[in-house]
Amino acid sequence: MTEHTAPKHTPDLPTLSAYLDGELDHHAEQRVAAHLAACPLCAARFAELQALSAGFKALPMASLGFDLAGVIEGRLAAAPRSAAARPERRWFSQWPLAIGAAASIAAGVFMGSALVAGRAAEVPRMAALRVFDIMPPGSLCIGLESCYRKESTQ
Amino acid sequence: MVDEAESGLIARAQAGDQRAFTALVRHYQDRLFRFILRLTGNRDEALDLTQESFLKAHQALARWRPEASFRSWLFRIAHNTTLDLLRRRACIEFVSFAECPGGEAEPAFPDAAPQPDQRLADRQSVELLGRTLQQLPVEQREILLLRELEEMSYSEIAATLGIAEGTVKSRLARARSAAIAGYQGLTGELRDD
Ligand SMILES: [Zn+2]
Repeated sequence: MTEHTAPKHTPDLPTLSAYLDGELDHHAEQRVAAHLAACPLCAARFAELQALSAGFKALPMASLGFDLAGVIEGRLAAAPRSAAARPERRWFSQWPLAIGAAASIAAGVFMGSALVAGRAAEVPRMAALRVFDIMPPGSLCIGLESCYRKESTQ
Repeated sequence: MVDEAESGLIARAQAGDQRAFTALVRHYQDRLFRFILRLTGNRDEALDLTQESFLKAHQALARWRPEASFRSWLFRIAHNTTLDLLRRRACIEFVSFAECPGGEAEPAFPDAAPQPDQRLADRQSVELLGRTLQQLPVEQREILLLRELEEMSYSEIAATLGIAEGTVKSRLARARSAAIAGYQGLTGELRDD
């Protein structure tokens, strides 16, 4: 791995990743921002992190498809302070078919509207993922001397 | 949910108000299910584990203190419950759930409506990312989910997973690096075909 043999480069990946998350203190944040403006390799690496983050938000959002809260409320009311923590296995598959079907329809309607609502936001997000396609694997700033000097002279 | 409204519900649930607890379940049920589904890769199991987590939360509710984030506390219960099952399945070290009994390579998600051509590439990217995620070790997958989907702060993630904030920072960076490498590997495979 190049990360181990290259001279120590700042910011390292954990710092870039924390910068993305807004978890650095103000001083560190300013240093990273200045470095990103001057170092194309780190900027590219950071763009990958941003694209990954955007990609996650475009993943399909699974949904229960029914109201578990109502089921739990029923169970707690039926067996107060005893049934907890050991649910019957496959409890949901024992429901009458009609209830299952109604739940599926309701879920379908809900998912349909969620998809429509989500479309507009999804396209730019997924375009962001293409960052990966145009960059060679492992295009990581490995600590070029020029990068390091810029950082250390600040 | 506004924190104040949530605190009110928790206080009422702690005092024995079943409907307040039901409202809390309703607020978190899909998010908790989504998290667990991405960990187990199996919808039926995820449904069981989601219910089990809420029932455990109900039992332990008296011990919750306002100093803790309720969301972290709830996700910690789900994390423990799910990892117990994965350990029993002896799959925690497996790279891919496709090799685990009961695990699926990619959780079953509802099919989206038919897509126009220009969206095909986007759909492929999403599918590849989903596959990438399922191939990551559980430890990396769950920290990515907590950060990217739940948008938890590092201190909340630390509380949820019972690790130091410094560990959150380094583990998250490793997980992101592995996810990017995994995604690039899969797109490389596609190009080679
Ligand atoms: Zn650099």
